[in-house]
Amino acid sequence: MSTRIRYERTGGFAGLKLSCTFDLDDLPEDQADKVSELLEELDFFGLPERMLPSHPPVDQFAYKIEVESKKGNHRVLTTDSAAPEKMRELIHLLNHLARGYRKKD
Amino acid sequence: MHRHPLTCILPPHMLKEIIRNGNERQRAFALQTLQISAQFRGQRQAARDLAVALALTAAPGKQRVVYDAQGGAQLPGIPVRREGEPPVEDPAVNEAYDGSGLTYDLFSEIYGRNSIDGNGLRLDSTVHYLKGYDNAFWNGQQMVYGDGDEDLPPSQRLFNRFTVAVDIIGHELTHGVTEYEAKLAYYGQSGALNESMSDVFGALVKQYQRRESADQADWVIGAGLFTANVNGIGIRSLKAPGSAYDDPLLGKDPQPAHMRDYVNTVEDNGGVHINSGIPNHAFYVTAREIGGYAWEKAGHIWYLALRDKLTATSNFQQAADLTWQTAGQIYGAGSLEQQAVKTGWAEVGILVNETTTPPPSQGDGCLPTLLRAIGLKQI
Repeated sequence: MSTRIRYERTGGFAGLKLSCTFDLDDLPEDQADKVSELLEELDFFGLPERMLPSHPPVDQFAYKIEVESKKGNHRVLTTDSAAPEKMRELIHLLNHLARGYRKKD
Repeated sequence: MHRHPLTCILPPHMLKEIIRNGNERQRAFALQTLQISAQFRGQRQAARDLAVALALTAAPGKQRVVYDAQGGAQLPGIPVRREGEPPVEDPAVNEAYDGSGLTYDLFSEIYGRNSIDGNGLRLDSTVHYLKGYDNAFWNGQQMVYGDGDEDLPPSQRLFNRFTVAVDIIGHELTHGVTEYEAKLAYYGQSGALNESMSDVFGALVKQYQRRESADQADWVIGAGLFTANVNGIGIRSLKAPGSAYDDPLLGKDPQPAHMRDYVNTVEDNGGVHINSGIPNHAFYVTAREIGGYAWEKAGHIWYLALRDKLTATSNFQQAADLTWQTAGQIYGAGSLEQQAVKTGWAEVGILVNETTTPPPSQGDGCLPTLLRAIGLKQI
């Protein structure tokens, strides 16, 4: 079973939504490896579901990352300033992928 | 005959004492009275100069610092330009510097407000936040700006750097003002009002910079932010919500212009950037109906409502009622300005509840009314 990722970015100054859903198997190998590596380094399945500030932050992006794999399902919600450093790398990569998917519509 | 308290002729020395020693609200009322008196005597420029001079002598004035995050996440980053220093090579730095200065000037020169907190708070901006970051925000202490999607090749790039439009800078700074004043909670209708205040005053900064009247202005937020690859004129339109962009990659501007099209969603904190179209349009119509420069009367009503009346949980109906009441207090019950506010909200599907605030209980002569209004006791 391939790992499936659902990514969604909402909010921000422009209020635009960026999202994509893909299986790691669909990606070029180096990108798939990079995603897996980041999920490992983050210990994604061990992260709290909500890494959010106490009040909704103004004009920041809100991120929802859902991972389905043989390890199970897990979802993480975070924002620009609440996301830990390593999470930012994953977000950056997911943005890049989501923008690529945007072209295909 | 009872005169409206703000047009009383008070001795200037009393007003100047209030300006020197009063709190922000008292100073603003006194400044306003001096300006109105000067205007009646045909001294518009003198009135404006007076406002500037007095606003700046009351507390430390404009103090700006711009930082460079150099593509990283650490805030604020390295300081690259401080108040009074000349322009640098980096256009993003100069835009952040100039834009925050212009926003300061609007609030100071027109509304008598000394910076975001009313007390000379330093205006800190960070540019080059992260890489490929197509956004800007106010984090509670400072402004933060990305470079757009500069990491894409030009043929694919959609966003320019976020300092490119002065109204974006004004929008972010106004979030700071709102945090110090009404503190509109950032979700649902109060959040949409919060967003709208930022769009309104962001638009007014741009109009003030260009000395454009309400009918000359484009009323578009973020004009110049999109590259030529996007089919759109900007991020939002106060004049025609829903018309700013319609693009195969980005989608269509989702803003409603009327309550019947209010968007019920959980995303974006209940659609704060979407439903802001409704109060945005109410402001635009109010300004259109009054005519002239939108920052002078419409902006004044909205500013005083933000500062003195709106609360954290205010919804659209309350904002309509409170802006209508504010207009009545400044310009008189039944005034053209108050009617314009009523029309503004009616055009977006909200009927103002026409109840006035309770009249003062003791002595309604000119001087006691004014002194009560600005929180001073008559000796």
